[in-house]
Amino acid sequence: MSTTTQTAVPTQASSSLASSTAFRTFATVFAIATPIIYVTCEMANIPLFTYHPGTGTLNFGWAPAVKDEGPAMHWYGWTAATLLGAGVLGLIAAKLPGSATRRIPLALVWIAPLAAVPILIYALRFFWRW
Amino acid sequence: MDAVYDYISVNTFWTILFIVHALLAVALLGALSHQAMSVLMRTRQAAGPAGFVTRFSSVHGASYAAAVCVLWIATFIFGAWIYTKYRIYVRIPIEQDGFWKTQGAFELKEHLATIGLGLLPIYWYFWKNARNIDYDSARKWLTVTLAAMCWYMFLTGHIVNNVRGFGS
Repeated sequence: MSTTTQTAVPTQASSSLASSTAFRTFATVFAIATPIIYVTCEMANIPLFTYHPGTGTLNFGWAPAVKDEGPAMHWYGWTAATLLGAGVLGLIAAKLPGSATRRIPLALVWIAPLAAVPILIYALRFFWRW
Repeated sequence: MDAVYDYISVNTFWTILFIVHALLAVALLGALSHQAMSVLMRTRQAAGPAGFVTRFSSVHGASYAAAVCVLWIATFIFGAWIYTKYRIYVRIPIEQDGFWKTQGAFELKEHLATIGLGLLPIYWYFWKNARNIDYDSARKWLTVTLAAMCWYMFLTGHIVNNVRGFGS
């Protein structure tokens, strides 16, 4: 057994993930897609499911509040739809050749969420009553 | 959950969850503030004397990355858990009292919490490759963005708690 063989032992899982180009592509696309999908889901009101905290029931997709059974919550459904959608896009992007994914501007990972903020503030205009 | 309620009251149970959520948020806020300051003040560390600001920003940012990810996720989970009670017992009275801007600020907080969750994988990746200068700019501004989001969420949560606190 030579020392060369010993040094060729793979590093731990977290290190390999941190050096993976596919993971970088996945994470980049995931970060860019998250605010875009979330804003879309929120403004178009497209939750993956609706939760009724008064009764503890779930409905697939959007559902209104039921009379005398308390409010309906859509945030969980928006979050699930966003993470699912961004995850799928990230996985698809990770399969693309490096020559294509290297062209994605890394600055978008912080510009996209910042750009989402004024849109979300506008979407919440119902609450800004003076 | 009924087994827990044999030992503590329902109010105590949810209060404990809220306090854990708040403590996790404090830890997250501290970690992200140190890290954001470390990337913003990097050039001034060498120039100035070791005052409070310099010491505050003189942290090894990379060592905070995993903790920030874990704390964001844990804070998110506890926040999402207590949100069910918030929706019924806090939001409805807030609306009845006409605190619309406070409620709007809280809505934005929940939006930012989800968006921040989506930024964590690339944030972790950038900090795990802290020696790669290609990521310097994106890592710096992503960290500052997450810190700003965290400050907003923390202060908003504090304000909402002041509106509808204990015994109200």
